[in-house]
Amino acid sequence: MRKYFRKILLYFCMVFILLIFMFPLAWAVVCSFKSELEIIKWPPTWIPEQFTLENYQYMLEHYPFVRWSINSMIVSISATVLILLFSSMASYAFARLNFVGKKIIYSSIIAMLLLPIQAYVIPLFLVVNKLGMRDTLSSLVLIPVANVTSVYILTNFYKTLPRELEEAARIDGCSYFGIYWRIDLPLSKASLSSVAILSFISTWNSFLWPMITLRTDKWKPLSVGVASYVGSFLNSNGFQYGPSLAAACMAILPTLIAYLLLQKNFVQGISNTGIKG
Amino acid sequence: MKKQNIAAIFFLAPYMIVFVLFRLGPSIAGILISLTDWNIIGDITFVGLKNFETMFRSGHFWTALINTGKFSVIVVPAVVILSLALAVLFNQKLRFRGIARAITIIPYVLIPAVTGVIWNWMYSYKSGILNYYLENAGLKQVGWLIDKKYALISIAIVIIWSYLGYNMVLFLAGLQNIPEELFEAAVIDGATKRQAFMKITLPLLKPVTSLVITLSFINTVQIYDQIYVMTNGGPGTSTMTLVQYMYTSAFKDYDMGYGSAIGTTIVVILVVVYFVVNKLFRTEVD
Repeated sequence: MRKYFRKILLYFCMVFILLIFMFPLAWAVVCSFKSELEIIKWPPTWIPEQFTLENYQYMLEHYPFVRWSINSMIVSISATVLILLFSSMASYAFARLNFVGKKIIYSSIIAMLLLPIQAYVIPLFLVVNKLGMRDTLSSLVLIPVANVTSVYILTNFYKTLPRELEEAARIDGCSYFGIYWRIDLPLSKASLSSVAILSFISTWNSFLWPMITLRTDKWKPLSVGVASYVGSFLNSNGFQYGPSLAAACMAILPTLIAYLLLQKNFVQGISNTGIKG
Repeated sequence: MKKQNIAAIFFLAPYMIVFVLFRLGPSIAGILISLTDWNIIGDITFVGLKNFETMFRSGHFWTALINTGKFSVIVVPAVVILSLALAVLFNQKLRFRGIARAITIIPYVLIPAVTGVIWNWMYSYKSGILNYYLENAGLKQVGWLIDKKYALISIAIVIIWSYLGYNMVLFLAGLQNIPEELFEAAVIDGATKRQAFMKITLPLLKPVTSLVITLSFINTVQIYDQIYVMTNGGPGTSTMTLVQYMYTSAFKDYDMGYGSAIGTTIVVILVVVYFVVNKLFRTEVD
């Protein structure tokens, strides 16, 4: 009987927690389908009296929302591909090759785990400015490629692969690149997926850096586009909640889908950063 | 050996070029720039520690530092305790726990700036749903984002909501690393479940806890996106953080040296916290 009671209590907790987590999202989605008049109506309603798409329409017609989405797509996908390639190559070297200065180089990379972009964003801006890359999409792509977590995850993974595999391949005359490309890469599919989903989401969500480097409206990614729309109305009277909620719902959809599809890898990726640390 | 050196150059070059140019280089250069007076267009002049001197005399700096401190003091303990509780709950053999875990992580994958937009609407003074419920419960409405007393805590709640799932995953991984036999043996030896949890599970979770504290701290010090869309530092300066102060100094006032001095201060804070947390948690484990 007591055990039964405990179970019910646990389920009750679970439902309660999930309600808290879903509440803001559900409320935003519901309201994004209401007319502006109904949105500010008191008392608020959970089911729209009049289901309307006008907020979505307004956003798409008055703001370069499609352009922002395409920018976010281009940037996040290119960055993810480059991260996968560059980080896995570097990680292979750290895990498998002996070379001069390996310890120092690897430590300098790991030390950077501690510093978020906020800590070095000013000099970064100066470098990018000097290279003439300011206000370009390429500056949005390359900065996430200098990411440290992916090297950390992949190096740790490659270290766990049995050395015998590699030695056998060497005897068969396989080059280092051959080993990396034909043996280690295929074996690390799960880790690569983790890195891919983590990179995609963090690039998609990045805000401070794009906001600093971009001036031109049409290069903005979604995060900055939506925020600047809201920011331009902050503390002013002309603000309409409807379109901002519609924009929010559309902007979070891609990462949400990506997360739900690769959920296992995403969770594994987070755990991997934790366990060995 | 020599052949491996050449191979290493080939494998490392693409990553290292990007890394040195856009990460390591800037991280070091920041310290040097903080010793100069520079507005991007004009000449760079070396001014020694003058920027830091100005900074320590500035009221805005102390406000930003204190606000960042307040955020950390609220967010870090809340995240540690609540995400541990979540992990323990979702580690029980419950039906649908997989789905429950997945949902808990969702806030973390949303664009933080957009999360701010969504909560803006919840927190709305006149037509927000939170105030509606408060009114229904017979309580006074709260000026979540427009009242100096509440703005900071309101934003802290959003941050906590966003990061709980992520840290829950870390704790879950930690919990699953503890061999179940240890726990069961203790229970068989007569320990209550609570005792076993306090004496066995918690101590074994120390490394994960230290990681969660460090990461939450780094995350809290760097928050900016949500604040930008929710209050932009206001009302007054009640939610202005170090990162925002740095942004304003460098990219609104174009004072790169002064901005870098604030950036360097952020680095120092993070490094100090990292070592303190590690010291506190590691020594006890060994």
